[in-house]
Amino acid sequence: MIYLHAIGFGLVTASILALCSVGLTLQFGVTNYINFAIGAYLTIGAYFAWMVNGIGLNIWVAMVVGGLLTGVMAVVLNLGIMQNFVRRDFPVLFMLIVMFGLSLILQNVTLAIWGANFQNYKVSSGQELSIGPFLLTSQQLVIIGIAVVAMLGVHVLLTYTKVGKAMRAMSDNPTLARNCGIDTDLVTNFTWFISGFLAGVAGVVLALNITSFQPSFGSDFEFVIFAAIIVGGIGRPYGAMVGALIIGLVTEVSAAFIDSSYKNDMAFAILVLVLLLRPQGIFATEGKA
Amino acid sequence: MDATIAYLLTLAVYYFIFNIQTWGLNLQFGVAGILNFAYIIFFAVGAYITGTFALPHADPFSGQTYFFGFALPFPIPLIAGGLVAAALGLLVGVIALKRLRSDYMAIVTVSVGAIVYDIIGNYFPLFNGQDGISGVPFPLQTRLGLDYNTYQWFFMGLAGVIMLILFLIIQRITHSPFGRTLRSIREDQDVSEAFGKDTFRYRMIAMAIGCFYAGVAGGLLIEYISAFNPSGWTAGETFVLFAALIIGGRGNNWGAALGALLVPVIFQEATRYLPQFPNSDTLVPALRNVVVGVLLIVTLWFRPQGLLPERKAKFPKVQLDAPENKQEEADVALG
Repeated sequence: MIYLHAIGFGLVTASILALCSVGLTLQFGVTNYINFAIGAYLTIGAYFAWMVNGIGLNIWVAMVVGGLLTGVMAVVLNLGIMQNFVRRDFPVLFMLIVMFGLSLILQNVTLAIWGANFQNYKVSSGQELSIGPFLLTSQQLVIIGIAVVAMLGVHVLLTYTKVGKAMRAMSDNPTLARNCGIDTDLVTNFTWFISGFLAGVAGVVLALNITSFQPSFGSDFEFVIFAAIIVGGIGRPYGAMVGALIIGLVTEVSAAFIDSSYKNDMAFAILVLVLLLRPQGIFATEGKA
Repeated sequence: MDATIAYLLTLAVYYFIFNIQTWGLNLQFGVAGILNFAYIIFFAVGAYITGTFALPHADPFSGQTYFFGFALPFPIPLIAGGLVAAALGLLVGVIALKRLRSDYMAIVTVSVGAIVYDIIGNYFPLFNGQDGISGVPFPLQTRLGLDYNTYQWFFMGLAGVIMLILFLIIQRITHSPFGRTLRSIREDQDVSEAFGKDTFRYRMIAMAIGCFYAGVAGGLLIEYISAFNPSGWTAGETFVLFAALIIGGRGNNWGAALGALLVPVIFQEATRYLPQFPNSDTLVPALRNVVVGVLLIVTLWFRPQGLLPERKAKFPKVQLDAPENKQEEADVALG
């Protein structure tokens, strides 16, 4: 019975992971460098929503506003910092240092603005419901629902819209995409917006799921997100969804066997296994890695 | 001893330790192009191993729990600290350096940093968790029978000698054919491989040597301040070292030493005297980290090679053969 409950929690964690890792992997595919500040984006999204929630708005409204603000922040940071380095053809090695630096700047700015105290949202966690074998709160059900809707949205975006196709084209071959007349700057900014939006929303639902948060909570979750995108194959949104599902289930089910304070370390164990045995990701074909 | 002199002595020892750290990082990042975002972890492991090798067996009544506890005499714990850090570096290298892309390297090292920090902080039987270990004996103090003040001078000399030896070694390595190969791998891994270099092996050796330096630096620190806990090695510390190296000049050991003086010593110490804001003891350290980050990004933007850039190797001009000889050679080749 406890394992079935753990699978239920695993689905919730997988939903949260899917939200941020799909955005992260999309941005990685388009820009070709990873966003080391993704943890800070989650944290900042959670704080934006906390402020909106604080003036009396409903938590789900606050979540959308927090996501939008984080998306705007991602675009502003791209225009202000990353874009300038990219334009100068900075090698990926140094882009990663810039991103590492940005992550520490954002983390410490968060600390300076909001302080180190734990915060939580004004919301009732909802009653516990038994759905089939799972025991989840209504809030957790909403989180799963949000993730499903967001994944469908990403699917529609990538398959049926012009900008989504442009994103895929840039991910495959940026030079060719530019030569075909795609406005690559615009697509890059759009990708950052989507990625930031999803990260902000993920930050809010992560904070809801663990009930209280402080400035380092997003960064503590960061390597779990990395594990999900590496398992799925870097730059592959559908792979990231499956990766999120695997990592989410493994971390939560393992908590039934081991001390739950180490459950996130299981994500790292999987990351290592995948890197040693199948570094291109479980579903990826040759090429990207 | 005068308080100012005591303070400057402490700063000097810290500077020596930072130098050793930035040289190790320089070999990895500046010379070999390895992104080791968990660098401070190897520093910490070196410190813990040195400390627990020098401490006697854990006394259950002292409230400290830790593994080992061998009470070994001076140079052995320090060397052991360096070696264990190097071994851990090899282990991380096997996972991180197998792939060509630097993204994987960075992701793995960031994750390793988070995990090791988590485990050492939470698992008390290893190195006493969040409380850290304390009471590490000062090396050679009882053997030499020095009083506290004289011992401070002695330790500065000891750390200085160790630093000098490590400097001479790292300079030799950087300017040897081995160092040249590492630089060629940094510039273009495929070309190096085409020339028959086993790039994975070269980078693994650079990883091990760099982590050895980090471990020895950590060992020296714990022998100097005799206590160590996880608040001393957060991910931000790795960042300070990267900032020092890039601002000072990556690829150049003198640049690394300049950066170690400018960023962790002068900047961090100078901001220590800023007034604290009431009700917020985290504000000043947070803003200090922000400034270090901004400094790093500004340096990358305006002077990416750093203050003391790496010197480009100069080769004597190859004397080309005179045209008539060339003609003869061509005739011979044709004939």
